[in-house]
Amino acid sequence: MIARSLRWRLIATGAIAIAAALFAAWFFMTLLFEHHLERRLADELQRDGLKVIAGLSLTPGGALVAQDMPADDRFATPASGLYWQASTARTVLRSRSLWDQALPTSSTASKEQWSERLGAGPFEPRLVLLERRIVLDAGSNPVLVQIGQNADALTSAGREFGRELAYFLVILWLALSGAAWVQVALGLRPLGAIRRAVDRLRQSPAERLAAEGPAEVQPLIDAINALADAREDDLDRARRRAADLAHGLKTPLAALAAQSRRARADGAVQAADGLDRAIAAVRGAVESELARTRVAAVRRDAGLSCPARVIAEQVVAVLERTEAGEGLAFDVDLPDALRLPLAAEDLTELLGAAAENAVRYARRRVRIGGSGGATAVLMVEDDGPGLDEKDAQAALARGARLDESGGQGLGLAIVRDVAEATGGTLALARSDLGGLAIRISWPG
Amino acid sequence: MRALVVEDEPDVADDIRAALQAVGFVVDIAPDGRDAWFSGDVEDYDIAILDLGLPHLDGLSVLKRWRAADRLFPVIIVSARGDWTERVEGINAGADDYMGKPFEMGELIARVRGLLRRAAGRGSSMVAIGPLRIDSQRMSVELNGVPVRLSPLEFRLLDYLAHNIARAVPATELADHLYGTADSGDSNAIEALVGRLRRKVGAELIATRRGFGYVLDQPA
Repeated sequence: MIARSLRWRLIATGAIAIAAALFAAWFFMTLLFEHHLERRLADELQRDGLKVIAGLSLTPGGALVAQDMPADDRFATPASGLYWQASTARTVLRSRSLWDQALPTSSTASKEQWSERLGAGPFEPRLVLLERRIVLDAGSNPVLVQIGQNADALTSAGREFGRELAYFLVILWLALSGAAWVQVALGLRPLGAIRRAVDRLRQSPAERLAAEGPAEVQPLIDAINALADAREDDLDRARRRAADLAHGLKTPLAALAAQSRRARADGAVQAADGLDRAIAAVRGAVESELARTRVAAVRRDAGLSCPARVIAEQVVAVLERTEAGEGLAFDVDLPDALRLPLAAEDLTELLGAAAENAVRYARRRVRIGGSGGATAVLMVEDDGPGLDEKDAQAALARGARLDESGGQGLGLAIVRDVAEATGGTLALARSDLGGLAIRISWPG
Repeated sequence: MRALVVEDEPDVADDIRAALQAVGFVVDIAPDGRDAWFSGDVEDYDIAILDLGLPHLDGLSVLKRWRAADRLFPVIIVSARGDWTERVEGINAGADDYMGKPFEMGELIARVRGLLRRAAGRGSSMVAIGPLRIDSQRMSVELNGVPVRLSPLEFRLLDYLAHNIARAVPATELADHLYGTADSGDSNAIEALVGRLRRKVGAELIATRRGFGYVLDQPA
C-alpha cells in the first residue's frame, strides 16, 4: 500500500533528499568552523609569539635573556597546554608551563614568516606549534621562537560545534520534511477532489467533473469528462435499443393475440391457449424491461425541481377517464408552491404508478397529499382494503425490485425505484381513509 | 354506430375491426396519420381508436388537428409506449381514454361502450347558472365561456345539483345517485368531490347547508 502510494513516495524522496543536503551542509560547516578556529588560534599564538620576541634580548656576552613575557597564567602553570620557548645554539629559554620538557626543535622554521605545524607535545599527543627564526642583533645567531598550544581544545570545540549543529539540523530536517508532507498533501488535493467527483460520476452518469482545475490536472479532468460523455452515450444507446426492442415487440404481440383469437374462433382452443400463455410471458418480460428502462432514464442531476400540484392534476385527469378511475373522487391536497426534487417526467411516472395502484384498490376516494419543508413528502392514499403491516413489508420485500418482479405488480416497484433513484424513500402505511398510504419522502 | 380504427399494423387493425363489427359497429380503417386526419375530418364517427405511432403524421398530431377543427367524437388512444408522460400528453391533447399495447380486446370493447354510454342517452339540455353553462349532451361545462375539464364523476355531481337547483341535496342522496348504493363512509368521498368541484368552478356557486346538504344556486 505504502510502496504504491504516490504521497509516501514523494514524502520519502523529499525526506531523503533533504537529509542528504543537510548532511553535506553539516560536514562542510563543521570543516569551515574548524578552519576558522585554527586561524583564530594561529592569530593568538602569533600575538603571544610577538610578545615573546619583544621581551628577548642578548647580553653583551651573547647570552639570551627574557623579560616581560606574555602574562597569560597558562604560561606559568606546568603542563597547562600553552607554551613558549626561545632557543639559540647555546641557550634555551622556556615558559614555566614546559617544566622540564622542551618543545621539539625545528629545522624548517623560516626567518621571513611564522610557520605552523602539528606535532606531538611534551604532555599531549597533539600540539599546534607556531615558530620563526629571529635575528635579535645584527651579526648574531638567529633565535628560534616557538609558541605551542594543545590541539585537543581545538578538536573538542570542533566536535562540540558539530554535535550542536547536528541537533539543529535534525530539527530542521523534521521541519522541512513536515513542510514537504504539507506540500505533497496540497499538491495531491486536486487528485482527491477528482476521486470524489469520479465517485459521484459512478452514481450518476449525467454528473461531470468541475470544468476548471489546476493546469497540470486539467488534461486528466478533460479526459475523464470525455470518457463520461462516451459512457453516457453508450448507456443512452443501450437504453434506447432496449426500449425500441420492447416497443417493437408490442405491436407484433398484439398481432399474435389477434391470431390467437382467430385460432380460438376456428376451434383450435388448445393452440390458442398455448399462444396466449406465451404472449402473456413475453408481455410480462417486455413490461418489466420497459419499466427498468424508464427507471434507468431517471434524471439524477442536482437542483431538479418540479411543481407537484400541476403534475398531480395531470395524472388525475388521466385516471379520471379510465374505467377504474371514473367512479372515484380524487382529492389533490397539495400546496401550490410545493416543488419536489426530480424532473417533471420522472414525477409523472412515479405519481402515475402510485396513483394507478391506489385507483386499483380504492372504493370511493383517492387522495394525493404532500408537504414541503426540510423533507419534501408526497402521499398517495386510498380508501380500499389497504395492507396490514405484514403485507406491506412483504409487498416491499417480495422482490419489489424491477429486476425481479417480472412484469407483475410493477406499480410499487416503479414508485420505489424512481424514488430511490432521485434520493427519496418509499414507505407503506395505513391511511386514515382506511386503505393504503404510499409515502415518498425526499430529505432536503 | 361508426368507428374509425387508426392502426398501421394490418393484423391488429383487422382484429379490432372484427371485434367491433361483432358488436354491431361499422368500421373504417385508416393505416396512416394523414389518412386518419382526413377521414376524421370529413366523416362523422361515433368513436375513434387511435394508435400513436403512425407513418406520415403521428397520432397525437392527428388528435390535436381533429380537436382544433372541433371534431369532438370520443377517442381512445392505443399506444405501445405506455408511459405516463405519453398518457398525460394524450389526455391533454383531447383523448378520452388511453390503453397500452398489447391489450385485451374485451377490455377495449368495454371501454368503447363506456365512452358511448356517457355521450349517449341524454336529452340535449343546456343549463345556465350564473357564469356556468352545463351541456348534458356533450358532457361539457363552461365557466364564463371558458371550457372547464371535469371528470365524469364531477360532471354527474354538478349535473345532478343543476337539475335540483336551489334545493339542498343531502350527501347520501348524491352518493346514491353517483354510486348506486350509499353507505356511511361515502359522505367523506362526496365532500372531497365537492371540494374538488368548487376549486374548478368557483367556491361560491356550491354552498353547504349544514345538516341539509349541498346546494347549487344562482348567485345573488
